[in-house]
Amino acid sequence: METDWSKVIEVFSSGIIGVFLVMILLQLLTQLSTRIIDFVENWNKSETTEPAPKK
Amino acid sequence: MPELIAPIAGNVWKILVAVGDKVELDDELVILEALKMETPIYCDDAGTVTEIKVKEGDAVNEDDVLIVID
Amino acid sequence: MFNILKELIYSSGAVSLSGGNLVMWLVSFVLLYLAIKKQYEPLLLLPIAFGILVVNLPLTFLMEPEHGLIWFFYHYGIEMDIIPPLIFLGLGAMIDFGPLIANPKTLLLGAGAQAGLYVTFFAAILFGFDLQEAGSIAIIGGADGPTTIYLTSKLAPHLLGATAVSAYAYMALVPIIQPPMMKLLTTEHERKIVMSKLRPVSRLQKVCFPIVTAMTIMLVVPPAAPLISMLMLGNLFKESGVVERLTNASANELMNVVTIFLGLSIGATMTATTFLNPKVLFIFFLGLFAFIVSTGAGLLMAKFMNLFLKDKINPLIGAAGVSAVPMAARCVHKVGSEANRRNYLLMHAMGPNVAGVIGTVVAAAILLKNLG
Repeated sequence: METDWSKVIEVFSSGIIGVFLVMILLQLLTQLSTRIIDFVENWNKSETTEPAPKK
Repeated sequence: MPELIAPIAGNVWKILVAVGDKVELDDELVILEALKMETPIYCDDAGTVTEIKVKEGDAVNEDDVLIVID
Repeated sequence: MFNILKELIYSSGAVSLSGGNLVMWLVSFVLLYLAIKKQYEPLLLLPIAFGILVVNLPLTFLMEPEHGLIWFFYHYGIEMDIIPPLIFLGLGAMIDFGPLIANPKTLLLGAGAQAGLYVTFFAAILFGFDLQEAGSIAIIGGADGPTTIYLTSKLAPHLLGATAVSAYAYMALVPIIQPPMMKLLTTEHERKIVMSKLRPVSRLQKVCFPIVTAMTIMLVVPPAAPLISMLMLGNLFKESGVVERLTNASANELMNVVTIFLGLSIGATMTATTFLNPKVLFIFFLGLFAFIVSTGAGLLMAKFMNLFLKDKINPLIGAAGVSAVPMAARCVHKVGSEANRRNYLLMHAMGPNVAGVIGTVVAAAILLKNLG
């Protein structure tokens, strides 16, 4: 069977680029959601601890 | 007073010293088990063991104090 | 009287035995030995080896389409893609993505190791495999059993036995295959790098991760859906903390049940006629090559990232980007502590290790999209 080299190159390059793109996207989203959650949790914490010193 | 802290979370597999033992730098003091792998924890200072805070089989978190050395 | 005896002999399997069957018995005995005596992945190798043995006893028709017992397991479990996603459900219920969330950069290492897989794809084409076969062989480098089985059953079912067995065999051989590559590609100085402590990860972050990841991956590469949805559902079970019974069922009972059918069916695809063929046997070499190249690609990716990072990572953890969880992470930890006995890389290596699972699924989905 004749190998279709253009298809090979296409699979090869789209594969490598695809995997990296997806993983980078996932990295950015993970970092983003971590930041948001950190922010929210710190905010909640400061809100619950703030009334304490007033006493 | 120097303390030996757990560098990773895991279970205490073996404690190789007893209170009162003299230990040297780089002695193996405790073996932790994490992910079915034994990890020896080495002594950072020379001195005498004054307190052992854990017993074999305990689950420890990262940064928990294992042994106090004087 | 004589005729009855003759009848009995002719209907017995013994006269239909071929030399190939005998060779497959030998293969089965070797695998049984490795599983029982050496405990190499015994949970899978044992049923696989027994599957090979019984399917090479002639006239039993266990793999006869529409009739054989094991054929039904194979048809409904593997051909219809039910078992690999169920294994992923259990895997998700066991995996802790904490180290990955604490250090999301490790996702890139999980991608780096997959680059090796495409090198193997290229190599397999050069050795005369067609595109579909080459894709199935390349995925062995991802070192993920269920993904390998999933992809091979879709692209090149006739190679299933060989790719599955080599994936599981090389996963068990991680402690032998990886260290030479690690030492070759890293310097003593690099192996000594101690990484700063991982930041704590809150429960909310762990709960959000599977949801965000499932949505992202399925939106971008829909063919990954069966595997990634189950993986993330299992993980959500675990991290939510409210469905302990479902978590345990996925990680223990369900996982164990499907493992039996998976192993037996995989073994049963390895009849003498399909397996004893130089092309199929060559897969074991290419699989090993895939594994080595992926390990190397992960290491090089880590070194490349170090060029830009202020807080250097230990390049060894790149090798954990192949997804053999947790064998690869253990191996990294061991090699790291050999260079510096106060180096505890285990948790740092778990990040790229679980990222590797995600990466392999993504790579498989892209191959499936292009070749399926």
